[in-house]
Amino acid sequence: MILTLLFLFAVCSICSAEETFSERLILSPNRDGTVTSSFAFTTLLRDAQPRDPAKLAEEDESQHYTLFPLALGQILRDNAITELHLTLNAGKWDYQNWGYPEEEGVGTGAELWAWMGEGAMQTADERWKNLRNALAGLFCASLGSLDEQRTTSPVLTFQPEGDLPQASTSHELRHGTLPSENVCTENLTPFLKLLPCKARSGIATLLNPHRLFDADWHGMGVHVRYLEGAGIEVRLAFQAVLNPVRYSGDKKRDWSLSSLFDRSIERSCPVAGSSDIVVQVPPFGAIITEPAPSANNAGSIAYDVRRVDKPLDVGMRWPDEAWFEYPLDAPPSALMIRRTLKGSDQYKGRLSVVLTNSAMAEVKTSYLETMPWLLQFYLHSLRVICDGIPRDDLVSIISYTPPVPHARPSLLQALLTLPANSTVELTMDVVKPFLRYTEHPPDAHRGWDLPPAVFVPLDANATGGRLRLRRVYTSVLLVDLAVPDFSMPYNVIIMSCTLIALIFGSVFNLLTRKFVVVSLAKAKRAAVDNNNHVRRD
Amino acid sequence: MDFDVVFPSLVAGRLLLAYTNLPGALRHDHQLSTPLTSYPRLQEGLYLFHNGVDPYSGGLFRHSPLLLSLFSTVLPLNRYTSPLLWTISDAVAAWALVQIWRARQQLKSKSSRDSLIAAVYLLNPYVLLSSLALSTASFENALLLLSVMFACRGQASPTLLTLAVTTHLSLTSALYLPPLMLLLFTSPVSFLASPRPYPFALQDILKKIAPFVAEYAVYMAVLTGAATLVSGGWGWMGKTWGAVMTLPDLTPNVGLWWYFFTEMFDHFRPFFLMVFSIHLAIYPLPLSIKFQHDLLYAAYVLTGLLATFKPYPSLADAGLFVSMTALFPETYAHMRTPFPALLVHLHCSLLLPLFHHLWLGSGTGNANFFYASTLVWGVGMGLGVADAVWSGLVAGVKGGAKKGGGDLAWEEWEITQE
Repeated sequence: MILTLLFLFAVCSICSAEETFSERLILSPNRDGTVTSSFAFTTLLRDAQPRDPAKLAEEDESQHYTLFPLALGQILRDNAITELHLTLNAGKWDYQNWGYPEEEGVGTGAELWAWMGEGAMQTADERWKNLRNALAGLFCASLGSLDEQRTTSPVLTFQPEGDLPQASTSHELRHGTLPSENVCTENLTPFLKLLPCKARSGIATLLNPHRLFDADWHGMGVHVRYLEGAGIEVRLAFQAVLNPVRYSGDKKRDWSLSSLFDRSIERSCPVAGSSDIVVQVPPFGAIITEPAPSANNAGSIAYDVRRVDKPLDVGMRWPDEAWFEYPLDAPPSALMIRRTLKGSDQYKGRLSVVLTNSAMAEVKTSYLETMPWLLQFYLHSLRVICDGIPRDDLVSIISYTPPVPHARPSLLQALLTLPANSTVELTMDVVKPFLRYTEHPPDAHRGWDLPPAVFVPLDANATGGRLRLRRVYTSVLLVDLAVPDFSMPYNVIIMSCTLIALIFGSVFNLLTRKFVVVSLAKAKRAAVDNNNHVRRD
Repeated sequence: MDFDVVFPSLVAGRLLLAYTNLPGALRHDHQLSTPLTSYPRLQEGLYLFHNGVDPYSGGLFRHSPLLLSLFSTVLPLNRYTSPLLWTISDAVAAWALVQIWRARQQLKSKSSRDSLIAAVYLLNPYVLLSSLALSTASFENALLLLSVMFACRGQASPTLLTLAVTTHLSLTSALYLPPLMLLLFTSPVSFLASPRPYPFALQDILKKIAPFVAEYAVYMAVLTGAATLVSGGWGWMGKTWGAVMTLPDLTPNVGLWWYFFTEMFDHFRPFFLMVFSIHLAIYPLPLSIKFQHDLLYAAYVLTGLLATFKPYPSLADAGLFVSMTALFPETYAHMRTPFPALLVHLHCSLLLPLFHHLWLGSGTGNANFFYASTLVWGVGMGLGVADAVWSGLVAGVKGGAKKGGGDLAWEEWEITQE
């Protein structure tokens, strides 16, 4: 026992020099009775550098990690990835009731974006392909489908969250979304395997798939970034919006770790440099039921999992409430965005984006659409109406890449100005293309999921420095494309060819054969003769 | 009725109609305009061009760069100019058709049939609706009729220039080159009833044609060069002419290609694209040889065939064929199936929009509904074309019999093929 402990300490003293691991859980009750839980497991590889793309052809230095996930490290080094963000989410994030999320990538489905240096033998696109295939294998997700038909480079919205090494001359961004991707246990299992303590100890114990995938919203993320002077940081994140009202029999919103996750923390993760649970306390009505917190700040309390008594089961109660009443009046968040696809036709429609700015100041926001060619914009029909008055000057298009059928998505980056306390509606006619029958998925009549639009409200007060701009995702769209009859290929080939052969045949028959004039009287006589001849036989 | 009265009043009526609210609904119609001729796509291309985005980098805009430069500089398109431009284009086409008629009848001045011919073009619902939908097929029709008109008058350079512009706008129009070149050497006057060989020695044909082909090639090269300069690269070629060859946009139309290549197995696609393209190129030469006595008639039959078999046909192409029928009254007596063809056309004019709506609008029908109606449409066009060939040839047989052996009592005789 003592030997084991000694060994553990030795390991930790070695590893802490180069790699640090910290874990954190933020629990915040929402006004609609739900609880947002945000897990973040951060591993920092000290003084490490992203691989220089120019040296991709050479043998790589050997990789020895104790805490850093090797499987992920190999993928990063093989493709010389500087920064990587992968999110797999299910559900629509409710900005109004749940506030702004801890992890900002909350677009429905899979989203993958990476910054990588130029100057390699392999182009950025080849490495992007390798990356998504490797990640697809690692996380058991259909990321391989994020092909050229869904890949764009929206540099204005997806700025690097870390630093880009100075050595490499230029960096490229690749971004792809797959809104139809589902997240489930098969994605969580490989995710847990990347953690140093797996799900056996520490905060990760709470990652119980039965509860997480039953949540109102859930999503996982892998974020790799390079921090100048610090090293390479991997942040594995899991967010879930759990609904204690739904679980409890008495319609109360009281919750505890065991009621939310069906588990409590039995022991702490020995290699964690820090292990915190932060609970945001609502302004009134709620009391904390469980042990005394390690720290108590304004509006939030914190527990250090390594120090408090185990098993740890943090909870919150509303003793004055007989039952929870769902708030019917939604508080106006600063910026509300609603994006819809209008029109019932299967060949054209209209995209409408309604933005409500309830702040008393003008807001500027960037607007990004990365639309597969399944929906094509008529950009000339873009109109902006502000409180019923046409105001086309409120939108300025920064860049537009038109889509290419069967090959490339469109990329629209624009800047919107929202006057104080106003509702702005953007409308644009769209064309729904017609696909080859082999391009349709097996459930063709379901329609196609289209990626969310991303808005980044620009802070007017920001002056210089690294300002973290926050992305706001809209809900995804479903487009109903016309489908051919899938049982028909042979019939169509046969019928079309028959018609062509018929016309071709009759035209060339007339053109090539000689016309003769036949006497009807003579022909009749011949017919009679012939008849008699037959009878005689 | 006097042509000087009828023609302006028809054009004025058309213009009034073009300024009503009706056309807006027609602009997205798949039967009236194809991806290559659609007005909203032209607007999108112009918008992108104005805003410094190469319209040919995407797949929505497939019009010629020359239209792009024309409409972005000299003739800006807006809701006041567009109906006027399209009406003028139709008026020019109708005028050219009347001129062709006069050249065929060797009339120096007005004839009683002029008004009828102008009306047949200007009031032809296929032409009228396409023009109201602001399909650029109207320009192609007008240019082609101008080219035919010049050919009837024996003016070689204008013929080849207008044909080159037509070809530039729609690649399949290059197939009109053989009949129109030969028409320049022969006469537009009807020889249907008295077939005769080419009025020149066959050995000389290459010598005669070569300068025309060269001139046409020069015009094409100049237009191509101009287009490349305007669009700033060669990208336009794949997007406009390439679309005719590879059919990247499978938007439904009245033709036979779109559903065939929607349902085509991927590994057979290039093969069938080749077969369908070559199939189009089969017709011009045999028609020019068989109708060597009347090459205007050959060109007329070719309009019908192309309207049926083009990669992206619209009703405007069929309208051209139907309207040109008015030029050949001498064949009417010999037609076998004019009434069935008319009925099929009537049937289709109900069936096509109805099934299009059922499939794509209300969603109660499926793709086969519209496909079936395009097949019926194809049958209708095929009937018309086959009947045109038949009546054109039979007129010659009857004419020849008349010349040889006096008047035959046709009730006792029948014309068949060996």
